[in-house]
Amino acid sequence: MTSATVPAAAPLPADTRMRRLRAYRRMARTALRSLMAYQTSFLFGMLASAFAALSMLYLWRSVLSSGSRHGFDWPQMKAYLLVAFVAGSLVSSYTDYRMANRIRQGDVALDLVRPVDYQWGRFAESLGFVVYEAGTAVAVALVAALIFGGVPLPDPHTWGLFVVSALLVFPLRFGIVYVSGLLVFWTQNYVGVQAARIALITLFSGALVPLVFLPEWMRVASAYLPFAGMASTPALLYSGGLHGSAATTAVAVQGVWSVVLWWLARAMWAGACRKLTVHGG
Amino acid sequence: MHAPQVTLIQTVGLRKVFRKPDKGPGIRGSLRHLVQRKFSDHVAVAGIDLNIAEGEAVAYVGPNGAGKSTTVKMLSGILVPTSGQVFVDGLVPHRARVENARRVGVVFGQRTQLWWDLPVRESLELLRDMHGVKGPRYQARLEQLDSVLGLGELLPKTARKLSLGQRMRADLAAALIHEPRVVYLDEPTIGLDISVKDRVRSFVRQLVADGTTVLLTTHDLADIEELCQRIVIIDAGRVVYDGDLQTVKDLHVRERTMSFELAEALTGVDRIAERLPAAQVQLGSNDHELTVTFDRIALGAREVLSAVLAEAEIVDMHIDEPAIETVVRKVYAGELRVGAGNAPAAESTS
Repeated sequence: MTSATVPAAAPLPADTRMRRLRAYRRMARTALRSLMAYQTSFLFGMLASAFAALSMLYLWRSVLSSGSRHGFDWPQMKAYLLVAFVAGSLVSSYTDYRMANRIRQGDVALDLVRPVDYQWGRFAESLGFVVYEAGTAVAVALVAALIFGGVPLPDPHTWGLFVVSALLVFPLRFGIVYVSGLLVFWTQNYVGVQAARIALITLFSGALVPLVFLPEWMRVASAYLPFAGMASTPALLYSGGLHGSAATTAVAVQGVWSVVLWWLARAMWAGACRKLTVHGG
Repeated sequence: MHAPQVTLIQTVGLRKVFRKPDKGPGIRGSLRHLVQRKFSDHVAVAGIDLNIAEGEAVAYVGPNGAGKSTTVKMLSGILVPTSGQVFVDGLVPHRARVENARRVGVVFGQRTQLWWDLPVRESLELLRDMHGVKGPRYQARLEQLDSVLGLGELLPKTARKLSLGQRMRADLAAALIHEPRVVYLDEPTIGLDISVKDRVRSFVRQLVADGTTVLLTTHDLADIEELCQRIVIIDAGRVVYDGDLQTVKDLHVRERTMSFELAEALTGVDRIAERLPAAQVQLGSNDHELTVTFDRIALGAREVLSAVLAEAEIVDMHIDEPAIETVVRKVYAGELRVGAGNAPAAESTS
């Protein structure tokens, strides 16, 4: 077999970080815009989860009316549930839903002929979505807080840590959602993957029930799994359930998982590209 | 001979094998597959060597499932080849995917690269920023695309509300906004009506005239005849012909048909047939019509004409010229094979 002589690459303006940054910024903005095109369906989704949060609030109010449990009194529980609600609304469905559909139908081919990194591209889009998701969820939470007679502010000593933890929710959730979206390359079907992901997150993130209420082994496991950082950690920091070294460790776990998931996704992507089959067209 | 040409696209022994799960029918088959995993290999591209010079317009033709789109996807960096080498403009597309994407424009007729929920203008602006096209240059490009594709009326429309023809025009603009040196058009005229097809074709002609290298995949033979001088025919993942369009026609499409309408009923069909032993002479649906089919190299139209004139008075006539369609049909039917002595080597070009 003759080997190919490499034709010389033609001059093209050198790629700059500037171009890439502009590209990602634009992608984030475009994602936000296209979400607004489906405002109604988004708001209905938000309404559904707002009702779920509302029923949780009523449930816990009656449970805690007879006194505090596992260190949660009613005002703390209110704060915990509302922060968990906001955290749980972030990167909730658009990123993986779109990704999975495009992979399944082969439209991912077109994402691959664009001059941007696939993962950073999805990250930028999720960032666009999250602005909208966070805005709406915070508004809903504020209204709920008013209805239930206000929510205490966090301990001034944990404010800083709470902010860091809240910011880490995004890369962490993105990591989980993106990795589960990539699984479609292997499963060719997303419904099952998504259901499993949602079930895992709901249980282990403490969004449904604070983790202290779970059996010992689950609590220990969840402390080191990536899920706690997706709702429980910021919610506990806000409501005053985490202090001192436990608090720092929990935030560190969030940070470590964000990085691990990012690189896990990179490795999966490399494998996925080899597996990619695009039928027809 | 031309000035030395720069090879822009090169593949050597390019192969792509897809692994497909072998599942039995029904739930039973699916369950068994979970335990006993069996796969079979499907060879989509079975070793393709291709050299395309800068500025060439090449038609890449073959039946459904021949491996056309798979080749294009490997050239675009979408698919990773199983083996073999591929270079586009000095880069290995799947290794330098982003850099390759900056130089290449791709149109898939069956998919859109517009953002479905956004006006076309915003899709184009997004692509502008992705490619880092500067403002004035973008404006100039937009005007240029507008003049050929009639883009202006499409810009404010949401992509999902476009008709197929409008969508294709917008998609062409989207793929070419960054003035790529290499353009792959994968069935760009599929499903379009004649007027839009014409528009797309004249646009591609313009591209070629501007020196863009074009690889065109199509089932529409008129596309090929109008746009390309060179044709590569593939079947079952292999190149069965690579050469210039006229040569392939001369070699494989020699049959020409002349149809006559005669002033009165023809009585001397046999006498005409005697005069033209090399041709097939047939009476049409009524005895006023006559068709003569002949090898256009063995026999000239003049001989046929004079033979018919000697026996009858002609009212009207027309000649059916060989079409590339016939060649491709032969390939599809499996009549044309490599090594059968009728496929010239690629070197016969230029």
